[in-house]
This record gives sequence, structure tokens and C-alpha cells, in this order.
Amino acid sequence: MSINTLRLAGALFGAVALYSAPAVAEDLVLGASVQLTGPVANTGRYYKDAYEFTIDKINEAGGVKVGDKQYKLALKLYDNQSDVNLSVRQYTQLITQDKVNLLLGPFASNFALADSAISEKYQVPMVQGGGASDQIFSRNFKYIFGTLAPASNYFGSTIAMMKELDPAPKSVALLYADDSFDVSVAKGTRPLLTDAGFTIALDERYTSNASDFNSLLSQVKNANVDAVLMAGHETEILNFVRQAKSLSVAPKLYSFTVGVPSEDFRKALGKDADYAYGMSAWLPSTDLKDRWFGDAAAFAEAYKAKYGYAPDYHAASGAADVEALAKAVEAAGTIDPKAVRDAIAKLNFDSLYGTVAFGENGQINLAQTVVQIQDGNLAAVYGGKGFIEKPKYPMPTWDAR
Amino acid sequence: MNSAIRIAIALLAVVVLAALPWFGSDVIVQFGISTLLLAVLAQGWNIIGGYTGYPSFGNSTFFGLGAYGVAVAMVQWNMPFWVGMVFGAAMAVCFAILLGLPVLRLKGHYFAIATLALAQVVAAIVSNIPLFGQNIGLVLPPLNNDAMFYELSLALLLMATLTVWWLTRSRFGFGLIAIRENEEGAAVMGVNTTLYKVMAFALSGLFSSLAGGIQAYWITFLDPASAFDISLNVKMIIMAVFGGPGTVLGPIVGAVVLSAVSEVLSSEVTNAAGLFFGIVVVAAVVLMPRGLADIVHHFRKSGWRYFVQNIRAHRI
Repeated sequence: MSINTLRLAGALFGAVALYSAPAVAEDLVLGASVQLTGPVANTGRYYKDAYEFTIDKINEAGGVKVGDKQYKLALKLYDNQSDVNLSVRQYTQLITQDKVNLLLGPFASNFALADSAISEKYQVPMVQGGGASDQIFSRNFKYIFGTLAPASNYFGSTIAMMKELDPAPKSVALLYADDSFDVSVAKGTRPLLTDAGFTIALDERYTSNASDFNSLLSQVKNANVDAVLMAGHETEILNFVRQAKSLSVAPKLYSFTVGVPSEDFRKALGKDADYAYGMSAWLPSTDLKDRWFGDAAAFAEAYKAKYGYAPDYHAASGAADVEALAKAVEAAGTIDPKAVRDAIAKLNFDSLYGTVAFGENGQINLAQTVVQIQDGNLAAVYGGKGFIEKPKYPMPTWDAR
Repeated sequence: MNSAIRIAIALLAVVVLAALPWFGSDVIVQFGISTLLLAVLAQGWNIIGGYTGYPSFGNSTFFGLGAYGVAVAMVQWNMPFWVGMVFGAAMAVCFAILLGLPVLRLKGHYFAIATLALAQVVAAIVSNIPLFGQNIGLVLPPLNNDAMFYELSLALLLMATLTVWWLTRSRFGFGLIAIRENEEGAAVMGVNTTLYKVMAFALSGLFSSLAGGIQAYWITFLDPASAFDISLNVKMIIMAVFGGPGTVLGPIVGAVVLSAVSEVLSSEVTNAAGLFFGIVVVAAVVLMPRGLADIVHHFRKSGWRYFVQNIRAHRI
């Protein structure tokens, strides 16, 4: 027993000794813990790459000017192995031991929820681009800011567009998968629909990873709805469209939260993908001007050249996080975390990701761009400022295609 | 004399551990909390897996139920934390008894498989109950008091360890060991095997659920995926087996050593930490399949040959 006790004490003291890592020098250090291994590492990597890419770019341009001092940005990054407990500990370590100046976020809402408690506790602002859940911003925390479009507003721009269509759809079917994110989307969409004067003729939840939509589609057919809004995952949506064709269910419009912007979606469905609406929080367009990268298209191109894959909205959101911190430090004229926090709250600048400005609760209000597949090509049809390209509406019946 | 020294050392260790929040850094305290909670889980598993010989893969279900007990009580009913702990523990114990009655009739691999799916089944049920926040999860009010969480976890581990210690010298504990060694034999000797097994399962569930309750309040967020995480169950088994199943201190030592190794790896070689951790576990299974506690007993006798013997004896 005494040997075991000794071991226990030894292990603890060993851990103490190993933790006294050296503090970092003159740079302005941003700390983050992201998922580089584990189940969600695939998306976690976008954040690592985006953070590093943007920091390098800002440093190339001379870094950030704080008061009359020039700072270089540096990144202290840990892998949390997709483990929430570990990520909480790593953020504590970043603040208390590594003495980083400001924080960047992890990927995924459950991580951001847990980690935001740490930034709040130590009063170091965290700008995170990985958690879209409204719950993160419902706790009146002052030090957490988010750049992902809120889940509750995913269909916001689609509904705004529907009001301006001619003939306007009246009845709507709302279908959603039973996971956390899609339930939040549905929860936020209901009041948007009723406020806009649509009737929700069908409101159905289905099991995630379902492959059989026949009964759901017959309900859609019976209710004879004009529009179908569906929040789910790409495979479900592919199955839904295929089975809609075989049952010849053709509402005037259907829109899906994911899949439509991706090339795989169009490849998988071929001509049947036409007329499908979707949304994208970010399109690499030249209209999105950026101080460091020029514009979003240039960012996407340089990013792809460096990492070998095209950036999506996760990467753009991560890049915007770094830019938001850089802008805020410059505006504050100091690297004091509290002053920087106030500067972040007041931010309002155009970036490759869109206009970055945070609401009272710390969440960005970013309108989704409505996209539609027209003759096999992706077209942006409706944005924050109205119609972009003319939508093909209403959708013809399947035998008339 | 010998036992007096042992008790003195144990008390000293507890005092030193209890004082940790006053001299350790924030990171150490947080590391302490999660290690202590893992040690509680390993110790809880030790009761059913180590002493009774039923390798349960369902203990993370109890952990999840305990976590949800606290979350539901605090978020939905605005009750204090301890009510949630009681509620979660009650749910877990009831669940263990109701489920133990049919499932504990299975043995060996069959029992392991029957419990393996438990966590997923309960997660699916929970994600359809509005009171439990369905799939969206529940957000608890934050409490920035790591020292309190640490002391709570330490007290819980102490409780679990004393219970296991009591097992080693009580009729109940001997009954469990008899079941592990030869269940039919135990029944013939007059051990009420069904009652003993279900009680061991419930006791195991009780400690796991209390650990879950502390975890939920500490992390402040809970959803079915994080509450009923199967990898947590694998972790607690690895830790208990690494330290030595069926011993009083083995699971604790296993939890502390493996957590320390994993922690050091994840902050020093952050990218390949999982790989190195895997190597440690494989080496442990090959060189010391009966855990650290067994080494302590046999190393003095056979020295380094102990490892060679193990490799020979368990030729893969």
C-alpha cells in the first residue's frame, strides 16, 4: 500500500514539474485548443489551418499596431483530442500558464459552451468561429463572441425570399433531423414562418441517418404544401430528393440546410439536383473585400494553394476570428484583455467572411445567402440586400422536366 | 505496528491531496478533478468488474444518468445541486437493479455484449424526452469554484475506496469474490448470488452516477452524446485493469498514472498523443496483464523476469 501511495504522490509531483512551461515573449499570443484528433478532427483541422494562415498573412503585412508599438501575432495551439474535459483544461493552461493574451475558439457548440466558462472566469475574450448554438450566447457571458451564423436563423433569408416570390407560397412543411443542431434550426424557424404569415401545414421530426422518407413524403403530398424546408444531413437529403422523384412529390420550392452548395451533391443527383434551394453562410466571392487578403476569392485561392483543399465557411469563420482580434487590439490601443473585450463588442468591419459585428449577446448576425441549383450550376439567388440572380420558381412537376 | 504505519501514510496522503487546491495551480486542480472522477469510475467498475468478475461495459450509462439527474434538477426544477445528486443516484440505482435482474444472468462475453449497447439505448431514449432537453442538451449555471469540485471528487473517491476496502473484509465482499471464482460453487455454499450481483451492480452504479453529477455541474453543459460516451467506459476499464482489478488501490493508481501519462503526452507532443497512449496501453497489457498491483507483489521475487514470464504465459 505504501508503495502505491508513493506512486500516486510521485505521479502528481511529476505532473506539477512538467507543467511549469516557459512564458512566451514579446509577441501577441493567441491561444486555442482545437480537435486535431478524434471523431471531429476532420472539421477541427479547418480551424487550425485558418488560424495559422491568417496569422501568417497579418504578420507578413507587419503585424498589428497597438498604440505606437508593433506586435507580431503568434499562435499557441493544443490538440484537445475531441475531449471536452481536456479542452477546458487546455484553455485554463493557456491563460494561467502559457499567459496567452487572447483566445480563439474550438470547433463545435458543446466545446464552445464548456470553454466559454473559462474565458468568462479569467476575463480573457474568446472569439470563436466553431459554435453556432444559441445556447452559448444565452448565458449573458461578456467574454465570448461567435462568428458562425446562428442556427435559429438558418432559414431566415430563405423565408425573406419566399415572401417576395410570385406567386408566393402559402403553406410550408418543416422537416428536421432529431440532432441538437437541426432541432435548434427548427425551433428558430417556426416563429420566423408564422411572423411572415406562412402556415406550417406539417411539422415533423425524423431520426438522424434515416434512409426511408416514403411516409414523410406521402404526408407532404397529402398536405399539398407549397414549400418544404428541411434541416438535416447530406445523405438524408440525397435520399429525400431521390424518393421525392419516385413518388413525384413536387412542391413549388424545397430548401435544405446542407448539401446543396457542395459539388458532391450535384454529382450524386445529376439533373435531379436542379431547382433545389440551399444556403451558404459564405461564398468565396470578390464582393467580400478584406484588408489583408484583398477579397474572399483571393483568400480561397491562396488557401487552397497552401493546404490542398478549398476552404469552406468553417475556415472563413476561423480567419474572421483572427482578424476580429487583430482589429480589436488596434482599436483598443492596448493588449489589456478587458479593453480588447470592449473593442470587440464595438467592432464593425468588412472581411473576407462578411461584415463582422457582434450583437448584444456576442453573436454575429450574418445573413445566409440563398443558393439554387440551376441547370447543374450553383447560383446565388438571394442575399442580405435582395435578389441576386433570378430564382427558377416554381419548380415544375417531375414529369415536366 | 505495521498497520498503524499504513494508516498513517494513508491519512497523510489524503491530507496532502486535500490541500492541493491551496498550493497547486489552476491547471493542476482541474487535472485533479478529472483524474479523481476517473478514479471514482474505475473504482466503481472495480466492484462489478474486478471483485464480482462481471466485465460491465454499461457503467457510463450510470455516469450519464447521474449527470442528467443534476442537470434536470438544477435547470428544469431550479433545485440545489445536492438534490440533483440524490435524484441522479436514485435513477442510476433503480436502473441498475431493474436491469441487473435480467442482464446479470448472462456471463462472460454475453454479459459484456448485453451491457455494451446500454449507453446508446439510454442516450436514444433521453434524446426524446423534453424534460431531459432532448438532443439540444442542458446548460447548467456556471460555478467558478474548482476547489469545491476538487474536494467533492476527492471525498467521493474516498467513499468509494473505503467501500471497496470494506468489501475485502466483509461477508458481502467474500460472496462477490466467490461468485467471480466459481458462481455455482458460491451458490452451493449458500451465497444468494442474484442478490449479491445486483447489489454489486447497484453499488457500482451509485458511485459512477455521483461522479457524473459532479462532472455535469463542473463542465456546465450536457447532451446525450457527452453523457453516454462509450469511450468513457473503455477508459475506466483500462484504468482499473492497468492498476489491478480486484485490489483496493489498483484502480486509483491506474487512473492517476494513465491520466498523468495522457496529460503529459497531450500537452508535450500534442499531435500524436493518442498514438503514444495506445502504445502505453498495449505495452501494459503485454508486460503486466494483471495490473500494477500484481507487479508490486511479484516483482521482488522474480525481478525483471516478471515481464518475460508474462509475455511467455500469455503468448499472443
